[in-house]
Amino acid sequence: MLATIPSATLLGAEGRPVTVEVHHANGMPGFTVVGLPDAACREARDRVKAAMQTCSLPWPTRKITVNLAPSAVRKSGAGLDLAIAVGVLVAGQELLPDVVAGMAFLGELGLDGSVRRVPGVVPLVAAMALGPVTTVVVPAGCGPEARLVAPGEVREVGDLKTLAAALRGEEPWPDPSPDPPAEPPGGGRDLAEVRGQAVARLALEVAAAGGHHLLLAGPPGAGKTLLAQCVPGLLPDLDDRDALEATCVHSAAGMPLPRGGLIRRPPYRAPHQFASGVSLLGGSAHLRPGEASLAHGGVLFLDELGEFPVHVLDALRQPLEEGRIRVARARAVVEFPARFLLVAAMNPCPCGRAARPGACTCTDAERHRYAKRLSGPLLDRIDLRVDVPRPDVEHLLAGPPGESSAAVAARVASARGAARRRRVRCNAELPASSLDDVAPIRGAAALLFEDALRAGSLSARGLHRSRRVARTLADLREPDAPVTEEDICLALQLRAEPDLLRTAA
Amino acid sequence: MSGAGGRGPLLALAGLPGMGPARLGALLARWPAAEAWEFVRGGDLPGDAGVSDHLVASWRAAAAAVDVEALVAAHRAAGIEVVAATDDAFPAPLRDDPEPPAVLFVRGRLDALTARRVAVVGTRRCTWSGRLVARDLGRDLAAAGVCVLSGLALGIDGEAHQGALDGHGGPVGVVGTGLDVVYPRRHAALWERVASAGALVSEYPLGTTPERWRFPARNRLLAALAEAVVVVESGSRGGSMHTVDAALERDRPVLAVPGPVRSAASAGTNGLLAAGCPPCRDAADVLVALGLTTPHPSSSPDAGDGAAAPAPAGAEDALVLDALGWEPATLDELAERLGVPLGPLAVRLTRLAGGGWLVQRAGWWERAR
Repeated sequence: MLATIPSATLLGAEGRPVTVEVHHANGMPGFTVVGLPDAACREARDRVKAAMQTCSLPWPTRKITVNLAPSAVRKSGAGLDLAIAVGVLVAGQELLPDVVAGMAFLGELGLDGSVRRVPGVVPLVAAMALGPVTTVVVPAGCGPEARLVAPGEVREVGDLKTLAAALRGEEPWPDPSPDPPAEPPGGGRDLAEVRGQAVARLALEVAAAGGHHLLLAGPPGAGKTLLAQCVPGLLPDLDDRDALEATCVHSAAGMPLPRGGLIRRPPYRAPHQFASGVSLLGGSAHLRPGEASLAHGGVLFLDELGEFPVHVLDALRQPLEEGRIRVARARAVVEFPARFLLVAAMNPCPCGRAARPGACTCTDAERHRYAKRLSGPLLDRIDLRVDVPRPDVEHLLAGPPGESSAAVAARVASARGAARRRRVRCNAELPASSLDDVAPIRGAAALLFEDALRAGSLSARGLHRSRRVARTLADLREPDAPVTEEDICLALQLRAEPDLLRTAA
Repeated sequence: MSGAGGRGPLLALAGLPGMGPARLGALLARWPAAEAWEFVRGGDLPGDAGVSDHLVASWRAAAAAVDVEALVAAHRAAGIEVVAATDDAFPAPLRDDPEPPAVLFVRGRLDALTARRVAVVGTRRCTWSGRLVARDLGRDLAAAGVCVLSGLALGIDGEAHQGALDGHGGPVGVVGTGLDVVYPRRHAALWERVASAGALVSEYPLGTTPERWRFPARNRLLAALAEAVVVVESGSRGGSMHTVDAALERDRPVLAVPGPVRSAASAGTNGLLAAGCPPCRDAADVLVALGLTTPHPSSSPDAGDGAAAPAPAGAEDALVLDALGWEPATLDELAERLGVPLGPLAVRLTRLAGGGWLVQRAGWWERAR
């Protein structure tokens, strides 16, 4: 007797449909799982058998073969347990094939028969939806996420016994779980908390509006982290596609999802400087998404940029360029979405005291080593670089609170609207060829660039970046306003210098 | 002992690990170089020579690897003049020095030192205006026929040399490494230009690497060679202050360039002024200290004389310069002092920088003139 049950397995942040085929044959009683299962998947054998016995479901004394098709795709994790159990019941004629027609199953089984949640419910259910599936059965509590992408009905079950009873029609399906309680508002901070720091505030606004990567350089205690935490609050909500991609990544990483399941607010990720390459970019044996992918659609904050291993920083170039990370392993190549706004912070020198020219106590060799850690190619992709001096005591105590995030976010949103009319997501993505149309430079402004180019303080690449930043500055004043001399002077001020530290010596 | 061939043992002794001018001087005061070298090679330096057993052992090990003839040949090939304290060519100011070098290695024209000599020194961690002052001093002193000495270090030292080259002078670089070990590496080109226009002087043979303890010794040689020392910028401690101490021990006049009272880079120089050092405002002050000119009312710097001070064209730009003063400031600080939005301020700063009034380094704006 044969049963065929649809399910799915996770590869990176994507689901792949899997058909679980269960065959009962005469012969020596036994239970085999074939079809490229990994260790956790192969162990389904023992979990399924124990779970069925605890739930007083009959275990057939026949030769049972489970095939996970397509057999070329590596199956990982325990998410196929529930489909295998249902397949065994159907193949053993404990359930009629008709009652499971059009149903897909997802969940890990405990030895007590409980159905446990698995990471990646969103991409897994999305993969199941590719087949002729009308009902998806997921572990209790996974309903809200599953409903984001499910093709039809979503059923939640807490244990195998309930599932069997519901399928037989002996008991009603359990009630869907209520939405999880609202999370406390995230770590996002409001710009109103930042006092003074006019230049840094402007840089945050430009970064958020134009999607320009940002480097904050300043001594310890200058407020770089606070500034970075303000950035997500300035960004607009994610569009449907980005929201779904971000949700898939978070789901695949087993991260908690917000109320309602879908990630609408830009995420903020701040990996530690000792983070490994794999934790930042994704990979490992389980092809888990890294911090850069978890920041998809939001902000990746790298504090102490100079302390990150050089090879890790270099590896960031791919996502910065393409918005995706390709992880190639011997068994599979997976792609993770990773389009984030990079906000980096660093001390101006190892001692952090180059707050004023002449105050630093680092030796030249130390300074040189520190500068060398930041590869030119990475700095090349950072459009904005501002120095964040330690704020005045007077400002901290008596200064007026700054403009709130909401006010800035409104300007950011309208500037992004202007970018969309230019058919890009944000100005940082403007192709160099279109700059003459959208950010023409005339008169005195052209002379400024000419001078900077001639003096060698601006490279050809830097010129394009500065023009994009100038475009964003003009858009922030008024969407589609012409680029003025002021915008260009400011853009040159906010520019990332590749010889960042040499100039401080 | 005549000719470079006889210099072999002296060269070899000067290159030993831990061999500074004091130890070398003490050894040569007791024995001729050749005899001292034999003692060192045999590891049987008499116990009353004041050298620790440990050092004797390390010298012996190092000496075993030295080929004296090859050493002499290498110096000859590199065009390096070896001047012993007993030679006629030994610079006159060092003859009656309390800590004279036993031997000098010279690349270039040693007779550059026969001119009037002024050391222009300062910190590596200098401000932009300090750099400009050092460069101007170097240029104007060189143009007045004065030999500018400095240590070829980053910052003020290098600027002083650069200025002296601009003024077509023959500067002398006094360094603490072998003359083939360029330190700092970034000054490789400057090092060559100083050697060809003037001279490079060291107490150490070829191949001697930079070591921390050699720099104070270098500073004392710099002070001993100079007739006057000008400190452009210095923190309250550091190499320049060593040079000052060495100069004061030798009764050389020390001049200090006044700086902003809140600038860390001027803490040392302002301290010197408070302690009674004469101020150095420009090259004329130095020439007066050397007795080359007499103070003249009209030759004093015209700063402070409102009518003569140059000013940028626009009134707005002049306001920016006033708000900046002579201390570095950030864009934030300037915007707040002037009460001007960032955009228009950036325009003015860019215009001023284009006119050479301001320079920007790592987020800090500084006045350049």
